[in-house]
Amino acid sequence: MHAYRKAEMKQIALYGKGGIGKSTTSANLSAALGETGLDILQIGCDPKHDSTRMLMHGAWIPTVLDLVRERGDAGIATDEVVFRGYAGVRCVEAGGPEPGIGCAGRGIIATFQLLERLGALDGDVIVYDVLGDVVCGGFAMPMREGYAREVYLITSGELMSLYAANNIAKAIVRLSKRSRQTCALAGVICNAKNMDGEEELVREFSSRINSTMVAYIPRSRTVTLAELNRQTVMEYAPGSEQAGVYRRLAGDIMKNNRTSIPTPLEIDELENLALRFAQV
Amino acid sequence: MNSKILPSDLLRYEGCTLTGALSVTMQVQDAVTVIHGPAGCAHHNFSLLHATAAEQDGVRLPPLVPTGLLENEIIFGGEEALARTLRRVADDGPAAIFVLSTCITETIGDDVESVCACDLGLPVIPVPTAGFLGGAFSDGLNMALTTLATRVGNDDVQERTVTVIGEKNLEFEVEENFAEVERLLGLLGVRVDVRFVRKMRFADLARVGSSSLNILRGPDLIPIGEALKRRFGTPYIDSFPIGLEGGVTFLREAAASLGISSERAVETETAQQAEMLSSFADMRGAAVSLDPLTLGSLEYAPVRRVMAALDLKADTGDAGLSLPYSPPVGTAGIRRLLHRWRRRTHA
Repeated sequence: MHAYRKAEMKQIALYGKGGIGKSTTSANLSAALGETGLDILQIGCDPKHDSTRMLMHGAWIPTVLDLVRERGDAGIATDEVVFRGYAGVRCVEAGGPEPGIGCAGRGIIATFQLLERLGALDGDVIVYDVLGDVVCGGFAMPMREGYAREVYLITSGELMSLYAANNIAKAIVRLSKRSRQTCALAGVICNAKNMDGEEELVREFSSRINSTMVAYIPRSRTVTLAELNRQTVMEYAPGSEQAGVYRRLAGDIMKNNRTSIPTPLEIDELENLALRFAQV
Repeated sequence: MNSKILPSDLLRYEGCTLTGALSVTMQVQDAVTVIHGPAGCAHHNFSLLHATAAEQDGVRLPPLVPTGLLENEIIFGGEEALARTLRRVADDGPAAIFVLSTCITETIGDDVESVCACDLGLPVIPVPTAGFLGGAFSDGLNMALTTLATRVGNDDVQERTVTVIGEKNLEFEVEENFAEVERLLGLLGVRVDVRFVRKMRFADLARVGSSSLNILRGPDLIPIGEALKRRFGTPYIDSFPIGLEGGVTFLREAAASLGISSERAVETETAQQAEMLSSFADMRGAAVSLDPLTLGSLEYAPVRRVMAALDLKADTGDAGLSLPYSPPVGTAGIRRLLHRWRRRTHA
């Protein structure tokens, strides 16, 4: 079922606060896209390497940096780091150093260079699932020239989550000033906590930072059940309402070709906004 | 004590803390220095130290071992590479190992101190020397000296001796300057035991605290002089003698500190100075043409007084920029300066 025209490869990156549901959303998005027959590559860019696990039915695939650590980067083949998961989605985990030592940011850069050299960065869509905080240049790598052109911010209506999204918007602004920069903000995805007024708040936040809310994903028990069964929602409950939400998200993202340079908020603007929508 | 040239030129002279620290640790002749970083950090310094040693007193390969980090060690951490290198170096049985860190290992947060704390059966001494943290060559030099100063002891020494502290091991006339200090002390009948740190063995540290007098290369080393004074009660003179009158003052101060008379030594030295000056009588009234190497000497009063004594005028016409300059040490320093000027005048 080729629902979308196979044009130039689409590269998107999902950024957001740690624990907000980037990996769950990425995996279900990749699965929904894969089900339409598109060739999808999902790259987990977090040393915790749990981005693609549900696509791989709970298996921990070897990370790129595990192999580099064991053998150096010379003799690594594509099929040793790229694994096919649910709906044909090709899965890669960058991995990283042991917690508390080395430089994970440099690890991301090295991973990208290796994937590039292997010619593994291909397909119809590449989904980059990135560590919550853009703590250094290495974690901004997916936003650099030649990689993701579209950044999606994932946030709930909680202040700390909006704050993190706002910070990532600042990183996008900074990078957009570089001469050959091609990446921009493509939209905001609300991964809800089911707070009252949450959808309106995130919609308003999106418009205030010069973007749009492209999807509202309600909190659902189906996600929890699917993950307890080590599957994406798409595979575990294909007929569920939640699967429908991810299918819509996939369709909207494929159709979306509007991007913008964001206008991040000052912290007190952000707090006032959150206060305005808070249900007391 | 380098003279500042132009603002845009300053960075050329300030250098790296790593090089400064190496200029000290390399002089502990039975120790090995490990540079924890990429091979290049070691190579630049190896070349410089090797070339300088060749210039000063023959070829001596600096005992310098890099951990030689590559990208993998940066990503996964370089502590294991350091531990491995330390074990390998320790197997060769040096008296001690110095461990100098670099920009990249400080950036990724390698815990060099804790790796150095593991027991290898010999002293393993870390000195943090990442250049990007700021500081210059002289800061690295002082840090290495300070670190070593915490390890000195005061083993029994039978005779009255002097310790020379903080010679600038890469400076142009380092041996000549030391020889002048040694000569002046000889006039007082005392001997230099340890040169801290030049051509020294690690075990010599044990005697540094038992000398009767410490002589600092320059006033920037006063904190080290003070530290040793607090620990061992050793008095210090805060600089090598500058120029002719500096030599005389030096003799008086050293004698006073040692509780001996300086009278005969001062008499001998004064006579020698007069004889030295008279040997340059042919230059009297000349206009000496200064080169970039000696242009900076004009900043020093002892030099200007010698010029006045010989009625010399300075022609700075083609000297260009002045290079960093250490003032002439003692009578011998002035003699070498005058020789240089005489050669240029007669050229």
